[in-house]
Amino acid sequence: MFLTLQANDKRPIYQQITDGIKSLIAGGNLREGMTLPSVRQVAGDLGINLNTVAVAYRQLQDEGFVTVRHGAGAVISARTLHPVDGAELYQPLRTALTQLILNGLNNREIEEIVREELTLLQQKGGAE
Amino acid sequence: MNAPTDFEVMILVTALIVLTFGYTLVKFSWNQPLRNGPGYFWGIEVPEGFYAGPGRAWLRGYRATLVALHLVLVVALAGCFALKRWNLIPLWSGGFSLVYVPAIAALSLWSRHKLGTKPPIRAVALSLESRRLGDYISWPIEGLFAAIIALSWWLLLRHGPKIDWLSPLQMTWQAIVLPFKVALVRSGAPLPAERTEEHYRYQDAMRRNVIQVLNAMGWLMVVTLCGFPLRQIWPPTAFPSLVWIFLVVFTAVFAYMMIVIFRGQRLASTMGRDLYPIGSFITPYSGAPWIGMSRPYLIWLAVWFGGIMALALYSPFR
Repeated sequence: MFLTLQANDKRPIYQQITDGIKSLIAGGNLREGMTLPSVRQVAGDLGINLNTVAVAYRQLQDEGFVTVRHGAGAVISARTLHPVDGAELYQPLRTALTQLILNGLNNREIEEIVREELTLLQQKGGAE
Repeated sequence: MNAPTDFEVMILVTALIVLTFGYTLVKFSWNQPLRNGPGYFWGIEVPEGFYAGPGRAWLRGYRATLVALHLVLVVALAGCFALKRWNLIPLWSGGFSLVYVPAIAALSLWSRHKLGTKPPIRAVALSLESRRLGDYISWPIEGLFAAIIALSWWLLLRHGPKIDWLSPLQMTWQAIVLPFKVALVRSGAPLPAERTEEHYRYQDAMRRNVIQVLNAMGWLMVVTLCGFPLRQIWPPTAFPSLVWIFLVVFTAVFAYMMIVIFRGQRLASTMGRDLYPIGSFITPYSGAPWIGMSRPYLIWLAVWFGGIMALALYSPFR
């Protein structure tokens, strides 16, 4: 299973790793109980700092997606987020929609993009 | 059956080494920088028409170095025979590796540095498969390996009132390859986002092949180490067949090691065809590390190689 990191992505690396792993969890590719590679392995394979990977893993741990056990590494612990406030959940969506509207897209085009992205995510992960 | 004399053993070992070096030179080393296809030189992307222009000079330089190194080998061997210094034969074969490996590695790194000034930046993929040491290293075998070394030394110290400690120490030092294997399992190289699965399989096959070579090399050293106490306990005059058994085992392990090396070369050519060579591109974040080129690997390489050099240099002066 691979996580692709795009060359032109403006997000920090740790964020790309975090978001990528979350996407694989959402798509059902990474299931509960599966082990992620060690921080050292990821850092070595990508040629990045250990701390960068550690930050990504810590974020996943703080959000409840992984449990870090000594000796066992980071284990996927949940497929869903802890219940959060509705406003908090919708805020990133609102920001993204605002960005699309400001870019001149109409409602139909936005709906089409959302549908395509959702299909892509489901196809990628094989999620129901 | 009489035991072979030291001279005969040296002739046999020398013949084996010369044959192997000759075959390696013709079959693999001669075209080593071209292994990744016409678009690359030493795994570095080169522009179209490179081999019609500057590429010729680069290749000539490499081959001239190769020939010069082998000439040194031939002259040194002729010297050993002319002076009838058979005891220098092990130093000759080991010394050649000590000169050849760093020379070719330095030439390759220098060529890559000069030619790879602007490597392409590629999107990378991250494998989420955990590489566990146990998947690559057999701990019972490692235990057996350590036990044989310990037993050999125990026998040497127990039965040898005045042991020649230098050669067994050289063998023991060269047999300590476990840190390399651990570093190899733990380190990797970035995977391109295109044909990721194939690149991953290729890297893993290469990793496993190098570990197999290290295993074989370790066993070759251990077999040689075992020979020292066994020779003391059962002198060749009393047990001539023991020398033959030792020679057969040594040759078998040596042949296995060379087969594994050659298989790795073939794997690299077949599996690596049309793939981006390791280290031929950089990631959006940093330079692409090479597989096995992690800091722990390089530190141990320096310690290990330094130890071999120190023991080899001490050898003629003791």
